[in-house]
Amino acid sequence: MKARDQDLHTLAGAYAMDAISAPDRARFERHLAGCQECAREIASLREATARLAAAAAVPPPAGLKERVLAAAAATRQQPPAGRPAAVPLWRRRRRLIVTAGAAAAAVLLGAAVVSGISDGSMRDQLSQAQASSQQIAAVLTAGDATMMTGTVRGGGTVTIVMSHSRHALVFTAADLRPLPGSRGYELWLIGPAGDRPVTMLPPGRHDMTGPVVASGLRSGDHLALTAEPAGGTARPTTPMMLDVAL
Amino acid sequence: MDPAGGAPAKDSGASVPAPTDLAAQLRLVARGDAAAFDAVYDQVAAPVFGIVRRVIRDPAQSEEVTQDVLLEVWRSASAFDAGRGSATAWVMMLAHRRAVDRVRSVQKESERERRTAGADIPYDEVAEAVESSLERERVRRCLGSLTELQRESVTLAYYGGYTYGQVASLLGVPAGTVKTRMRDALIRLRDCLGVAN
Repeated sequence: MKARDQDLHTLAGAYAMDAISAPDRARFERHLAGCQECAREIASLREATARLAAAAAVPPPAGLKERVLAAAAATRQQPPAGRPAAVPLWRRRRRLIVTAGAAAAAVLLGAAVVSGISDGSMRDQLSQAQASSQQIAAVLTAGDATMMTGTVRGGGTVTIVMSHSRHALVFTAADLRPLPGSRGYELWLIGPAGDRPVTMLPPGRHDMTGPVVASGLRSGDHLALTAEPAGGTARPTTPMMLDVAL
Repeated sequence: MDPAGGAPAKDSGASVPAPTDLAAQLRLVARGDAAAFDAVYDQVAAPVFGIVRRVIRDPAQSEEVTQDVLLEVWRSASAFDAGRGSATAWVMMLAHRRAVDRVRSVQKESERERRTAGADIPYDEVAEAVESSLERERVRRCLGSLTELQRESVTLAYYGGYTYGQVASLLGVPAGTVKTRMRDALIRLRDCLGVAN
């Protein structure tokens, strides 16, 4: 960690001269946000680069001032920072989703460990969990990841994080009403491409169900939930207990 | 050639600050004060155009980018934070960054051409096109106090618009070396120029 920070710190000169690629710039700015000393150093180096700019001063072409002043008169100004509009909405949404994702991953790991200890097939459970958590991470970190919540008729709430670019969603549910052993909850994608069964939901643990990944998401799909015979069915046979437009 | 005299007070009345105080002018601009913006233009247009043209080279594109930068100053004056540096440094950062972004977005097509063009920027050329001879002379002297590698790194990066990685391959030096030389060079320049911080 120390070495990495040190390494980042040597980028200060390149950063102050914009001699840095866009990804490096973003990385360095994250570092800056948590390093006051670095921010002070950058500020002082920027004063030096400003002098380099001043030394290159050349009178601008005639007529430019007129055009700039006219353009300014027709241009709306940004409100001061700190107002709600200053933070792009999607950024806040991403942060929310990352938090939700971390929570979902914690639940997943918890479920895998608990079930592994109780039924003795821990390794299988864990490798399944790992494959699944990679898929989950892919959805949660997608640029277009969107989180939705819904209420299940008959009891329970669901949280969905979907990404159309990944053609997938992550589904978790809380407080679903327990069903008799002969029946289970089945998840569906329903839309122009037809009704597709996603999976039977695993039994809930500690009132939490999932996370489950549904892939093959297409535009115009809805996510639906029904109670079906425990083995699952090819198409819904009972009324939908949840219907979310994706 | 007196930017201060060109700033009409107009409806801002007695609250108009000393015209050379760019930070105070920017605060007025943030409130939509057109007269203050007029004064800001007079103070920064020449260095903005100068650095943009030095990086971009093409005069027509430079003029276009200069206009964008100055409009950005008008639009986002409220984002200027005096606690994080001088007003001049803020404006020059906007200008340089936008010039560099423009160059990099078209760099793919003309990479070879720029490589030849950029590699031969001698530091003392900094002095040539400019009028404000005192400042120019001081910067020239301070650039002259750097080691050759430091000086080349700075001129290629700042005036040439190259990334440190590109500078490294132009100079045939490891990227890590260029990175540290750039930082060392700016620290020396800062101290030599007596930049207050």
